[in-house]
Amino acid sequence: METLLDIRGLSVDFKTSRGRVKALRDVSFPVRKGRIVGIVGESGSGKSTVLWSILGLLAGNAEVMGGEIGFEGGDLLQLDAAGLRAARGEKISVVFQDPMTSQIPVLPYARQMADILYRRKGMSAKDKRDKAVDMLRRVGIPDPETRIDAYPHEFSGGMRQRAGIAMSMLTGPNLLLADEPTTALDVTMEAQIIALMRQLQSEFDTTIVVVSHNLGLIAELCDDVVVLYAGEVVETGAVRDIFHNARHPYTRALLECDPARIEDVSRKLPVIAGDIPDLTGELAGCIYAGRCQRVMPDCHTLVPPVVHRGTGIARCHLLEGPLADPDWPPPLDVATVPTEAGTPASAKRPALGAPLLEVRDLNVRFQTMGNLRARLNGVTDPFVDAVLDVSLSVRSGETVGLVGESGSGKTTLGRAILNLLKADGGSVHFDGQEISAMDERKFKPLRRDMAMMFQDPVGSLSPRKSVRALITEPLTIHGITGVDLDAEAGRLADMVRLPHAFLARYPHELSGGQARRVGVARALALNPRLIIADEPTAGLDVSVQGEILNLMADLQAEHGLSYLVITHNLPVVRHIADRIAIMYLGRIVEEGPTADIFAHPAHPYTRALVEGVPKPDPDQRRAEAAAIRGEVPSLIRRPAGCDFATRCPCVQDACRIAKPPHVQITPDHGHACLYPLKRTKQTTETT
Amino acid sequence: MLSYLAKRLTLSLIVVALVLLLLFGMLYMIPGNPAILALGTRATPEAIAEYSARMRLDEPVVMQFLIFVGNAFHGDLGTDVFSGRPVTEVIGERVGFSMALIFSGMGWAILLGIPLGCLAAVRPNSWIDRVTGVFSVGTIAIPSFLVSIWAILIFAIQLGWLPAIGAGEPGDIGDQLSHLILPAFAIGLGWVGYLARMVRASMLEVLSEPYIRSARAFGLPPRKVTGYALQVAILPTITVIGMGFGGLISAAVFAEIIFARPGVGKMIFDAVSDRNFPILQGGVLLATGFYILVVLLSDLLIAWFDPRVRQSL
Repeated sequence: METLLDIRGLSVDFKTSRGRVKALRDVSFPVRKGRIVGIVGESGSGKSTVLWSILGLLAGNAEVMGGEIGFEGGDLLQLDAAGLRAARGEKISVVFQDPMTSQIPVLPYARQMADILYRRKGMSAKDKRDKAVDMLRRVGIPDPETRIDAYPHEFSGGMRQRAGIAMSMLTGPNLLLADEPTTALDVTMEAQIIALMRQLQSEFDTTIVVVSHNLGLIAELCDDVVVLYAGEVVETGAVRDIFHNARHPYTRALLECDPARIEDVSRKLPVIAGDIPDLTGELAGCIYAGRCQRVMPDCHTLVPPVVHRGTGIARCHLLEGPLADPDWPPPLDVATVPTEAGTPASAKRPALGAPLLEVRDLNVRFQTMGNLRARLNGVTDPFVDAVLDVSLSVRSGETVGLVGESGSGKTTLGRAILNLLKADGGSVHFDGQEISAMDERKFKPLRRDMAMMFQDPVGSLSPRKSVRALITEPLTIHGITGVDLDAEAGRLADMVRLPHAFLARYPHELSGGQARRVGVARALALNPRLIIADEPTAGLDVSVQGEILNLMADLQAEHGLSYLVITHNLPVVRHIADRIAIMYLGRIVEEGPTADIFAHPAHPYTRALVEGVPKPDPDQRRAEAAAIRGEVPSLIRRPAGCDFATRCPCVQDACRIAKPPHVQITPDHGHACLYPLKRTKQTTETT
Repeated sequence: MLSYLAKRLTLSLIVVALVLLLLFGMLYMIPGNPAILALGTRATPEAIAEYSARMRLDEPVVMQFLIFVGNAFHGDLGTDVFSGRPVTEVIGERVGFSMALIFSGMGWAILLGIPLGCLAAVRPNSWIDRVTGVFSVGTIAIPSFLVSIWAILIFAIQLGWLPAIGAGEPGDIGDQLSHLILPAFAIGLGWVGYLARMVRASMLEVLSEPYIRSARAFGLPPRKVTGYALQVAILPTITVIGMGFGGLISAAVFAEIIFARPGVGKMIFDAVSDRNFPILQGGVLLATGFYILVVLLSDLLIAWFDPRVRQSL
């Protein structure tokens, strides 16, 4: 098969204040024409640097140290600015990670798309518009003739990414680069975008290079895979070879850490211990030696051999040469990455206690426009229900997962529980006391029993405070005197397994996992009984996610904590939650024990979410039809009947008339669906 | 949109009323009887009483205020204490000179400052960036009245290129323009540097936005990429320019005094020293109204450029 893009020996340095970071070293891999190639790696692997090197759009402090990028008979690295510009957008195009920020907010799509066609001098303005409309239609934008005049902010996230794909396909490029194309999107949108990219690939015969950390996306979308670690290619191969018979210990570890693969919720999650090596110093031997479970003394000094298999390679001493192990790689079901030391948290958990948090029929309404404006526009009710009749309880020692896509109201609910927002109806009882009507002065002592773990681990930490100050800040805020703050900081650091040397550091000196630990320590500072964790693993690498989830489970076992975990990530919540509540448009549509929810979802939306997560197995690709259609409707246009009726695959006429009531299937499994899915097999409780 | 405009205009009226009230209160507290000022220190008590009654100076200050506001609504701002001419007429013949000065001062600052800021941002650390940086700090720090004096010393007296004082012969546009150059230069100079710095800072911020990288990735030419960035980066600058007109009104007062231009600024200055209250009130009313209008226009301009703002109105 013809090679379209051939990267050979690419090395890129970044000049930083810490010295030269050797971000890419001797990266080589071919991209064959008509294939979808996935570049997978964790943060710091250099996967984005590869992508920007192809486009010649590296940051100003980057320097290409060597190598070539062969494309259509030339070397992209040798092109001058004008030559590169001619290739960009015409022959090579890009789909960006975050459609929210990658499209200019002040220009309508019509203008942005016409501008991309600026080289087509022969086309009239009308031709360009027609072409753009046609492309928008092909990517599934309804009513493209009028929507083309919309601005990016008028589109929802999923629509915006569709428009982004339309923009990149407009010129009919030979090579399409996609940088984490679904990371900013919800699960149901992700499935749609994956299906769309596959469809466009076959329609236009485009070659696609996808950069992602999401193994499920890679397994579902790609034909070939390149695994990058710390700036080096450690393994390449066809997608089945990689996912079913990975040969490099890092690839194996990465696959084993993915919570989506681990169905056994009782055991601890595996983690890859250690950090990515410092790329400013001299690097010798195997780059992965420092974290490898199968490391041998010579791995630190000898450069591993390149071992071919089919079209792929792997670089590991275990495969060839004097250090080779004939039993490597072991079958897929043999774990190569140990879980963290210690007994599984679930084994020593105390029994669940009495309800600690009880939410009854809670409502939160937001005003969308001023009273005057509403009257002028003839709007009788300028309010939307962000949270609608939500009832939820968390017992002491229990973990409840609150799952929903963006706009489901899950974060609003969390804020209302913490009394950060005024509720418009219903009640919140914490430890038997009604708190939603309490004023701040009376609520303050109770606030010590409820802590929040914020979503953005670094952004929620003040950059000017040391870790020591950050960890003990809750104590000072609550005016707690008579404690030795230094001793307290040490105690909390021990609890979250953060070395004491880190107490003197500042947030920008922390890795994602370490920053998250600081967040956990802050939440623990006042010995709370309930922690509301907002997306506790968002933005963390797969190999680190397990660390945080294991830590949370251990803390629960030791201190009898309760968690309310707010997330859109079902595989993660499956591992820590005893019960799951699914939210859609501010309403809880299904609630029940975790195992039951996964085995027998009653609500079609729950099923869509459970099946919506792409499996890290190329043999379990979903049919395109499996992706649920449409998007979460705006709260302003809440459907009259069932909120999910506009997207439900099993919708009936009755669904569109009235809101379905909450029904209990079993004492602890309830749903709000008129035509619940049948329970296919007998319930098998795994907890 | 309409309700937004209605709200803004109502707010503007309230602001104008508040400014007038403040002014009235201050005038009331300033020592010196306007009747004595108007009639001279040797006026008889009867004359003063007659004048006070005619000008309604004997009424309580609240009444005086309401009378003034009521008259202002009918376009009557009172009469000049000395000449007896209607205030509106006095202002009318001067307002043109001030507007010409303010707009040409800000105009050349915009025309030079924005491109300078763009160039500096597109090529950071180049010579043009460094020169712009030094020039900006230098010109922002110098008060405009000093620039006025130097401009007269250098360009009018030493070099003799341009006239030093006055506003030019009535009806002779060329002469009026040549009289406009130096004062406009003086009040605009600081703004060139200020706008260049503003635009440079917001351009640098916008140029690092992901959508600019997208534009480059789609192969758009540098000129177009800069244009994209400027469309976003200009938004905060528009607000600053709008507010800047407030500062320019006071800068124009100095410039008009130094260059002896018969503008509103000089008129207000004279009115203060002469205790010519009706003229002073009229002048301040005009300045306040003008400022509010410009700020409103700049907000509408931002809405015109930014669809997100437009749709939230």
